[in-house]
Amino acid sequence: MKLLIVEDEPKTADYLHRGLNEQGYTVDVARTGPDGHALALLHDYDAIVLDVMLPEMDGFAVLRAIRARKQTPVIMLTARDRVDDRVHGLREGADDYLAKPFSFLELVARLQAVTRRGRVQESTQLRIGDLEIDLLSRKAHRAGNRLELTAKEFALLALLARREGQILSKTVIAEQVWDMSFDSDTNVVEVAIKRLRAKVDGPYERKLLHTIRGMGYVLEVRDAREAP
Amino acid sequence: MKASIATRLAVMFAVAALGVFSLVGVALYRVLYRELGRHQLSEVNTRLEYVGMMVNRNDNAVSWQNLRTKLDTLTPADDSVRYWVLGPDPRFVYGDVPAELRERLGTQAPRPFMLELEGRSMRAVSRSIPPKGERPAVQIVAALDSERFCNTLDTFAGALVALCLAGVALVTFLGYRIAKVGLAPLSSLSQEAQSLSPRDLSQRLRLSPLPRELSDLAASFNGALDRLERAYAQLEGFNADVAHELRTPLTNLIGQTQVALAKERTAAQLEEVLQSNLEELDRLRKIVSDMLFLARADQGETALDRVHTSAAEEVSKTVEFLDVILEEAGVSVRVEGDAHASFERSLFLRAASNLLLNAVEHSERGAEIVVAIARRESEMRIAVTNPGAPIPEQHLGRLFDRFYRADGARRNSRDNHGLGLSIVKAVAKMHGGTVFATSAEGRNTFGFTLSDAPLAATPRLAGRESREA
Repeated sequence: MKLLIVEDEPKTADYLHRGLNEQGYTVDVARTGPDGHALALLHDYDAIVLDVMLPEMDGFAVLRAIRARKQTPVIMLTARDRVDDRVHGLREGADDYLAKPFSFLELVARLQAVTRRGRVQESTQLRIGDLEIDLLSRKAHRAGNRLELTAKEFALLALLARREGQILSKTVIAEQVWDMSFDSDTNVVEVAIKRLRAKVDGPYERKLLHTIRGMGYVLEVRDAREAP
Repeated sequence: MKASIATRLAVMFAVAALGVFSLVGVALYRVLYRELGRHQLSEVNTRLEYVGMMVNRNDNAVSWQNLRTKLDTLTPADDSVRYWVLGPDPRFVYGDVPAELRERLGTQAPRPFMLELEGRSMRAVSRSIPPKGERPAVQIVAALDSERFCNTLDTFAGALVALCLAGVALVTFLGYRIAKVGLAPLSSLSQEAQSLSPRDLSQRLRLSPLPRELSDLAASFNGALDRLERAYAQLEGFNADVAHELRTPLTNLIGQTQVALAKERTAAQLEEVLQSNLEELDRLRKIVSDMLFLARADQGETALDRVHTSAAEEVSKTVEFLDVILEEAGVSVRVEGDAHASFERSLFLRAASNLLLNAVEHSERGAEIVVAIARRESEMRIAVTNPGAPIPEQHLGRLFDRFYRADGARRNSRDNHGLGLSIVKAVAKMHGGTVFATSAEGRNTFGFTLSDAPLAATPRLAGRESREA
């Protein structure tokens, strides 16, 4: 996966570069609008992360210039989250829109969403360690034992399992599981994860559902000594 | 800057006075002109009559000499009155008839006319006398110098102009003084307003010494001051609250990071610090984005992504989302009624969830929270009622203010930074609605309305964003 980041703020560009690199992306960085435009046309990127505030040529202008030639998915970044800006960006052909300060995890999730299109159908049977999940019959088993999960608990587990190894933020979880598209002030997700953990990990030696403090949750098999 | 009211009034008085005086002056001048003219004419006519009588009486050449002598005597030394007798017989004529007069008499019917003679203008009348005895028919002319008439008129006009100007000046001056005196309450009001200091926001203008017209103005001004004082107090409190809310996580961030860097730490210790910092940063992010959201609602941004949906359905979704919280708190929720309306879903969910959380927070275990949805004309009303301790009247209206807390004490809760209900208010405002709160018989109700009436679109800003945004 090859990405282009067009961002003039050095710290932001650097951490995005490093973070996305570690997520397995090949990343190019452009510091100005014209550079970004030139790079976008020169290479075939899987997605472009484009800041709105840029020297010389603003993000909307870069986006227009790119759209005249290519249909590469573009995620716009801006310090303002006025609806007007969002509408403007989307109308100009942006695929998604993130307001600063944004969570890195959310950017990754959105990048995955815009690059996912056209990929092969996901499997309906998931297996993580000794946890088995059947997405069709909506049943989950751990070490052969059936897990008694409510519908929401199953949806939550399925989401975490489909994104195995990825950290999912509370916002993403609330949006995906409950269709709550706002930054909620509640600890609903925490409580729901706690309950799910009691059922999935409670009686078992090896823990699969991990909390990453300040970021979110991840479902994966870890080495026993690494487990918290 | 515009001229003062007194000056403006004085100028207006001056213009009015000038108009009135001019009109009266012109009229008086015309009247006098006509009267003097008539007077002169009658004098000329009288003299002509007299001369005519004498001419009539003298019908032979000898007595004509007497007439000449008489007419010589009648003509004053300064030639201010002149007589002429014109006729075909040189024996029966009088005076050197100037060419002009001869010409005028030839062309004109016998009527009063003006005659320019030796540089003076004279008013003349002529008359024909039929023949009698030796004397043939003659034409007699009497002329009166109109210089006196002109002088009188000129003097009168001069006096009139001078009086008019003096009158205008006097009216202007008096008008200015009167305006000054009349406006004295205004200037004292303005002085009083100037003496209001920003240090003491509770100062007000005194209404008692003011005339009726001004006391209304002053009352309105005092009303504006009231509102400003309230807004200022709110802003001040708000600033303090924001500073407090931001200071806590910032202190944690700075302190923890400094402590971590003061000594060599293991990776695990540093990771712990980073994790804790991340939590604090997330708290900051949330406060900032909530504040921005409220600011945008304040600036009049309205909900644009409206869809027509069932409110009960969305409330049920919210209840489902909050299910685990409700269960932990041991409370149940019942949704009553339904209504369809156009609203922005995510905003509605946010408001509904904040109201429900507020109700849960103030409910005992086993309590039932009722969400009542109803439509009243063009308004949809969502009311969330929970059994709870009565809320004093003075708090009710203010609970939707930012960071306002009825108990006064700041609960240090991580999830709740006191903006929940003010966000409900902002959401209602963005949909052209309002919020309400009541407390009676051990039941507290908080809610909001959404209006279906289309709102004026927010002014679109230019696409460029600014650095400080």
